[in-house]
Amino acid sequence: MSSNDLEAAKVQGLPGSEGLIVGPLLVIDEKERIVHPEKISASDIDRHQQLFINARTLYLAELDDLLSNLDKQTSEIIEAQKHIVADQEIEIMINKMIGDDQYCVDYAIYKTFNGFIERLKESGSDLFRQRIIDLENIRDRLVALSCDEQEHLEVEKGAILVVREISPTDLVTYHERGVKGLVMDKGGVTSHAALIARSLNIPCLVSAKHAVHSARDAKTGILDANKGELILDPSADVVKSIKKAIKAEKKRLQSERKKKERSETLDGFPFHLRANIEFPQELDLANQNGGEGVGLLRTEALLYGGMANKSESEQDAFLKKILTGIQGPVTIRLFDVGGDKLNVHTPDEDNPFLGWRGIRMLLDEKDMFCSQLRSILKCAGKYPGRIKILVPMVSLVEEVIEVRNAVEQVQQKLLEEGIPIDEQVPVGMMIEVPSAALLADKFAREVDFFSIGTNDLTQYSLAVDRGNERICNIYQHYHPAVWKLIKMSVDAAIENEIEVSVCGELAGDPIGAPCLLGLGVTDLSMAPSSIPKVKKILTQYPLDRLKKYAMDVLESTSGKEVQILYDELSGG
Amino acid sequence: MIKKKITILNSSGLHARPSAALVKLAGKFKSDFYIHMYGYRVNGKSILGVMTLAAEQGAELDIELDGPDEKEALEAIETLVANKFGMEDE
Repeated sequence: MSSNDLEAAKVQGLPGSEGLIVGPLLVIDEKERIVHPEKISASDIDRHQQLFINARTLYLAELDDLLSNLDKQTSEIIEAQKHIVADQEIEIMINKMIGDDQYCVDYAIYKTFNGFIERLKESGSDLFRQRIIDLENIRDRLVALSCDEQEHLEVEKGAILVVREISPTDLVTYHERGVKGLVMDKGGVTSHAALIARSLNIPCLVSAKHAVHSARDAKTGILDANKGELILDPSADVVKSIKKAIKAEKKRLQSERKKKERSETLDGFPFHLRANIEFPQELDLANQNGGEGVGLLRTEALLYGGMANKSESEQDAFLKKILTGIQGPVTIRLFDVGGDKLNVHTPDEDNPFLGWRGIRMLLDEKDMFCSQLRSILKCAGKYPGRIKILVPMVSLVEEVIEVRNAVEQVQQKLLEEGIPIDEQVPVGMMIEVPSAALLADKFAREVDFFSIGTNDLTQYSLAVDRGNERICNIYQHYHPAVWKLIKMSVDAAIENEIEVSVCGELAGDPIGAPCLLGLGVTDLSMAPSSIPKVKKILTQYPLDRLKKYAMDVLESTSGKEVQILYDELSGG
Repeated sequence: MIKKKITILNSSGLHARPSAALVKLAGKFKSDFYIHMYGYRVNGKSILGVMTLAAEQGAELDIELDGPDEKEALEAIETLVANKFGMEDE
């Protein structure tokens, strides 16, 4: 390593999840990785041939999945694609390139398909040129699938993953294989990957423009998500001092955890902090940080990986893992598919955030809906008093009534089969659409509890796509317009004597949480990593001070003013 | 082994779906099946091979069949091509 004073290269981004680590870099560039004619050793031939077979199997399964939801015309096109993917000739040629010429699997796939593509290009027929795009798509998907598996095999412990973007399931898989940090070219602070990173308690940078390109040749990095930067190939001295800082921070956190303070305000009013989770792997941190149960269990992960209808036994096993992994109540949100969450088989929509998602989709997809309800209600029978059902994306009162009827029907059926149920299982709704907040007094008569989802409520109120990094600045969850809607919902809940909790980002936020408690929300659910921080803040003030803070926030005119009000609260 | 010249009649030529139909049919027979066109020789049981011939309406193909059921295979293939793959002018 050169020892001159040249400063190491840096990549800037937004902090998606706080933290500081040093580690080897794992850079995945979907486009780059295609074209290297790398040779492999004779002992790797079998493995690479198998990688192609595995990739082909995965791809055929993906296409089969698509087929179940298509009209006849489109089905025939997919069928033709399946023929191409399963083509015997292709398999023979690829195996030959790997076996005889000893090329790596991705290059063998790329080169073989290109032979056919070239021929089509030469044909000069316009009609057939359109097919070139199809072949290129098939080629790239096969290359990606075969590479994914290769890369999954080669994760160094403690690696920092640098990607353009990543699905939640892939992130969890990488984390299990040793990844301890994430840097993404794309995505905003509230993108799904950033939420998962916070839950897994690994530092994460989002909107780090050209990170993949810049980091491509670097070997190690320092990911400082607190400052919002990734330092590439730092000098040995810098690494040493950073490692020291990390050690000190760890010690501080440990001592903070030991002081198990009670969850009550300075003057003794109790509150409850619970965890938002999606995977059983997150329970450890939730328990360590003193989470009182799960305030939001996301269930969409059951849908990822191409299985439109996970079998009931898989759902049962998932719920059992959660219920046995933590004490206290568990609020289960029904499948909330659509928008930025990976669509399983939703058709293309111009406006997915205003489209067929949440309860709108579930009420149409009765099989999926009833199989989920059945699994949840069976589990509720086994763990009476612990499970609550949460309905996402409610905008009309009729939707809630329909869900209640469905719950009753499924319970009736379970009783007939002699399976125990929890008759009192509470059914509540997400308040995340402005119409639900505005009509909260009407909704409160139909449900057992409200859970306010401040992320979506913010984006629907301010008409801003929270995944769009260009307008991140308009997405202000401290905006008083959002606070007014929250206040209406909380007041309606208190008046009708139903429970109300908040499970959005605001609940885990140092500025948001004290204001929520001031409004009367004593039940807050957040990423497990945020619990100690929020607890520390809320225990510092008497309830009256928080009430005044909340009233001031409601009178403000902008998100910035709210920040100033918080500075007053924390300063004085 | 038998050889025969056939002409593609349907307007979209040996496009994805007609190719798939041809390959599917050929796969039912034991005989080897090759197509010659513009000096290329492709395996008639490979959809990619057939598709990338880019045979348009009016194209002439030399087909070559070799095996125990070559006669039946030839007959079936000729019928399929003559019927414009059963998908003309939808």
